[in-house]
Amino acid sequence: MDILAGLIQTAFLAGGVLALAALGEVLAERVGVVNLGVEGLIALGAMSAVATVVVTPHPWLGFLVAMGVGLIAGMIFATATVIIRANQVLCGLALTYMGMGLAATLGKPISGSPAPATFQDIHIPILSDLPFFGRAFFSHSLLVYLIFLVLPVALQVLMFHTRHGLNMRAVGENPAAADAAGISVMKMRFWYVSFGAALAAGAGGYLTLVFVPSWSEGVVAGRGWIAVALVIFAGFRPINAVLAGLLFGFVTALGFVGQAHNWPIASSILSMLPYLGTMALMIVPVLAWQRMRRLMAAPEGLTTPYFRDQR
Amino acid sequence: MSYRLQRMPVAAPSVLFAARVLSVILALLTAAVVLALSGKDPVALGGKVLSSTFGSSFGLEDLSLLFSPLLYCGLAVAVGLRIGAWNIGAEGQFNLGAFAATGVALFVPGPTWLLVPLMALTGMAGGALWILIPTLAKAYADVSELITTLLMNFVALLLVYWVATGPWLDPSGMALATTARLSVSVPYVWGIVHWGLPVALMLAIGLAVMFAYTRWGYEVRIGGGNPGAAAYAGMPVQRHVIIVMLMSGAIAGLGGMMEVAGTVGRLQGGISNNYGYLGIMVAVLARAAPLGVIATAFFMAVILNGGIVLQSQGLTTHTVLAVTGLILFYAAIADEVARYRLIPTTGKVTPKGAR
Repeated sequence: MDILAGLIQTAFLAGGVLALAALGEVLAERVGVVNLGVEGLIALGAMSAVATVVVTPHPWLGFLVAMGVGLIAGMIFATATVIIRANQVLCGLALTYMGMGLAATLGKPISGSPAPATFQDIHIPILSDLPFFGRAFFSHSLLVYLIFLVLPVALQVLMFHTRHGLNMRAVGENPAAADAAGISVMKMRFWYVSFGAALAAGAGGYLTLVFVPSWSEGVVAGRGWIAVALVIFAGFRPINAVLAGLLFGFVTALGFVGQAHNWPIASSILSMLPYLGTMALMIVPVLAWQRMRRLMAAPEGLTTPYFRDQR
Repeated sequence: MSYRLQRMPVAAPSVLFAARVLSVILALLTAAVVLALSGKDPVALGGKVLSSTFGSSFGLEDLSLLFSPLLYCGLAVAVGLRIGAWNIGAEGQFNLGAFAATGVALFVPGPTWLLVPLMALTGMAGGALWILIPTLAKAYADVSELITTLLMNFVALLLVYWVATGPWLDPSGMALATTARLSVSVPYVWGIVHWGLPVALMLAIGLAVMFAYTRWGYEVRIGGGNPGAAAYAGMPVQRHVIIVMLMSGAIAGLGGMMEVAGTVGRLQGGISNNYGYLGIMVAVLARAAPLGVIATAFFMAVILNGGIVLQSQGLTTHTVLAVTGLILFYAAIADEVARYRLIPTTGKVTPKGAR
């Protein structure tokens, strides 16, 4: 039981990075832009968060700075893909390279040293003291509740139960029709892509201020790409995306527990689990649930730039 | 008379070429400005890079050793792009090629003339095997190869790291995280430059000929450009996708084999050195043309070598990745901008000879 409680606790910790980054990607993809720069954005956010708390020991400030950096990077990306309408795949790869390279170069002085200030777990009276549940669900930092409860519910309501959300999805499904209905396609795409990037970089801040309290070059380790894959698996829905993130947090946690309990499997092999699991999640559902395909389909206008004069 | 911008469906090749060159120059200028702002002299650094690269035969040999893996990875990505597939997994296939070739070298006894070709074949098989699942998933289930090929990279890196530190660790105890030195190596052609480079160049030429002059190459080009039209014309698009993607993996795998058996001599973690990721830029800048890859891979080798030279100046090798991203970013924008023409708007259109 104790192992299971620890597993769930670690699953929330590790899954938070994926969940937050996936939420950001949901925002971008719902308005029709695929952002493959998530890996680079997480790296930038992770580095700038630690750099901030090195200067002033306020984790919230570090997290906000990470999101701010992501917002700026996202606006640059959105300028290229939404306004200039350059190839989204190329720009995304470029953003990944730039983010990783820049974070490694600028973060060299702080690489490897522990973050001087991190988010602390908050103690909830009664709940945190429950046997099993207390440790598994109620001993986390505030950010964890924000990522797994507040943000996904808010975004789900925004997207599927408001007029603005309807407009937003219309832009992703059929930009020409949305444009004809008087929705500004450019504005909608530009801002949601930028906000999405801010969330991705925030996931980086979460990574270095909550989960692994230190910045180093390899710390992102493909989490951005897993997040992009999870969005497809989650059918482009915020709550599903967070649940998928949690599932992968669990897979990651399994690797940690295996190491801690000296399972007779090399740690490198255990570290492969999240990547292999993501592969399986991308391929198996397509084969198994033919019926779900329409329901979980990508927005019709995804990756297609919108040219008003060519509609 | 006023002008307006008109977007054309396609851009002229000469304009595209100019746009590519301009984007590279702009990226280097941006990097120079950043260097200058951080208190370094970009002109002096650039001169140092050029002199230490081209100034001696050692520099040129080092350059060739970087040139060769970039050629393999660039060709691998370029071949995939021809059928419209993004092989972001050249990094992993490169590792697997190195891994498979090392397995042969460590456990199969035999003379060099037999072992080197055998290692090349197993290396290619390893690379092809590593892209097999993403290929089948793309061909039969329409799963985006972009993410699946990339995810396999991490698995490959972990696999190589594991064997190099565990089961295949150098038994002599001299090395910490590598296998023993391989008993066979790819023969040298010039200095420390081995046959990996000439083979890569021949491969580039061979691929260019195949794409330009064979029926297969024609069908692949059409299948990549417009799969619907190709299928309507009776071309086996799905089969082409599978074969081309496996070829792409095999080329990257061969690159890995050449790297471990020619350049490094031992299998170790991180042997791929980001070549797979840089190969994407090499292929994109060359517009997936095999002969163009020769030029862009050479250019990338100079940049990479520059990064190594600049390491002594307090920069990390990752700075090269950032510059690569910058080039890719400008190139993507330049591609789109190159499609626009300035069209004069005269108010009313008077056909020629109407007067």
